[in-house]
Amino acid sequence: MEPIGIFILAMLCQVYSCAANVSDSVEQMSYASVAGEEYLQGDAVEVGLDDKVYFDFDKASLDAEDKMLLEQYLPFIKKAKVVRLEGHCDERGTREYNLALGERRALEVRDFLIVKGIKGKKIRVVSFGEEKPIKNSSNEMSWAENRRVEISLY
Amino acid sequence: MKRFFLILILIISNNIFSILEIEIIKGSDNLSKIAFVPFAVNEGLELSQGENLAKLIESNMLLFGEFENLDKAEMLAFPSLEEDFFYRDWKIQGVDFSVIGKINSVNILGNLNISYTLFNINRRIKVLEGEIIGSENNIDGIAKIISNRIYEKITGLKGIFDTKLAYVINSDSDTYQMCISDIDGKNERILFTSKSPIMSPDWSPDRKKIAYVSFENGIAEIFIQDLKTGERDSIQALGMTNSAPVWSPNGKSLALVVSFSGNPDIFLYSIASKSLSRLTNHYAIDTEPSWSPDSKKIIFTSDRSGSPQLYEINTSSKRQKRLTRDGTYNARGRYFPDGKSIFFVHGNNGNFQIATKKLSSRFIQTLTSTSLDESPTISPNGNVIIYATKKGSKGYLGGITLNGKSRFSLPVKNGSVREPAWSPLVNK
Repeated sequence: MEPIGIFILAMLCQVYSCAANVSDSVEQMSYASVAGEEYLQGDAVEVGLDDKVYFDFDKASLDAEDKMLLEQYLPFIKKAKVVRLEGHCDERGTREYNLALGERRALEVRDFLIVKGIKGKKIRVVSFGEEKPIKNSSNEMSWAENRRVEISLY
Repeated sequence: MKRFFLILILIISNNIFSILEIEIIKGSDNLSKIAFVPFAVNEGLELSQGENLAKLIESNMLLFGEFENLDKAEMLAFPSLEEDFFYRDWKIQGVDFSVIGKINSVNILGNLNISYTLFNINRRIKVLEGEIIGSENNIDGIAKIISNRIYEKITGLKGIFDTKLAYVINSDSDTYQMCISDIDGKNERILFTSKSPIMSPDWSPDRKKIAYVSFENGIAEIFIQDLKTGERDSIQALGMTNSAPVWSPNGKSLALVVSFSGNPDIFLYSIASKSLSRLTNHYAIDTEPSWSPDSKKIIFTSDRSGSPQLYEINTSSKRQKRLTRDGTYNARGRYFPDGKSIFFVHGNNGNFQIATKKLSSRFIQTLTSTSLDESPTISPNGNVIIYATKKGSKGYLGGITLNGKSRFSLPVKNGSVREPAWSPLVNK
């Protein structure tokens, strides 16, 4: 494909994902829902890559390192049936706000994958807010590790 | 036989032990001293019953560190009738109030008639006199009613000793439990146990149900659980994240947060019609709703300005107003019972603390001094705030009284406790 073609495709995907944010019902079925989580019964696919991208406090943006990792994931994601993105936060701040923030982090990863040509339909987004920390201690190192999106393929 | 008796004691005391127990850290700035004189008993009753009742009232009254007691060993007299009561016996001990009383057995079914009197020693007057009839099996309940009346007379605030607390316990084995107990930590009940997180408990105004969020099916879902039957119903909000349910003051609807496509907004959910109606519509995060006591407004957190701040929305006109401007993190606001002030989590230099603010003023007052404080809940009389905080890797509950600035904590023996939610008063 010509570079210009890729550019147009990427733009279309951007518009597509923005549109999903405006309308509540149109894209509903492509997100996690109680009925849609049966794939969790099966085992996650092991791909041998780091399965986490990390974030700054109260931020949801991806840096160059995160994007590089996600690029490495693309061939595996294309083969997978479902990619589950679990957003997490550190313990600071309030629980319900963090639940929303974790969701936004997972969506940031989703949007990047969509731009890279992954179908929105096979991406499941879920947030656990600050409810499932990796490290339980209260210091900058633990917090940095807990602010993450975990990627798993099914 | 002796062994059997020992086992019996163990079983009984196991029930009495509570998971949460209040420890006073610092008493009120101006502690009043109260003497709780052992109640007299008439024939056919044990002396210990009278002592026990006075002890129960005493432990209620001392619960939040607002008063100190006169030790029984220091009492100069044990009057049970007004004619035997001499103010000088108490004045000399620095006592501010004395409680005396008598238990009369009414019949062989265990019904008791209890009379009690409260004296103000400094003013040398009888300030309260009452009588209550109840069963000896419910001596805890009777003590709570008497404690409420004494507390109301002394402080002018509603007594809260018969209120309850809901909270989430996360034990070390990664088990989550939705629990309720009496406000003193007694009579704990586990409503629901899960291997997945549980969040955001909130009491229905009639105290019969609790709404909360559970991840048991892989995503955040809202459940309503009936406390009597234990039955759980999920609210079919069908968003990718459904969270932060709070009951309206009339109990007919919930304000809650639904994120259908990655944009959390506040919705109202009608319990009867099971329908959702949208309240906010903004591309930013809108979450943590809570009703004003007159149910005309809802306070919520939004990061539409770039950082989490508090806003309120009028539920009929939908007009919105920003409430906080100072600091980069003001979230999970709740109204005081009088509707004139709010309390919330205030982030300041990396510390997250419980703060209050009058709606009419810009000034934010911080109440706590630890750094990871969250989920504040207020007593129905507006005087006590319990919140979640952390020491080491363990979550525990802290408390503060607003009138006297006493401080207490409610540590948990195993695991972490979080997200306290204070029940309303019992419907009379």
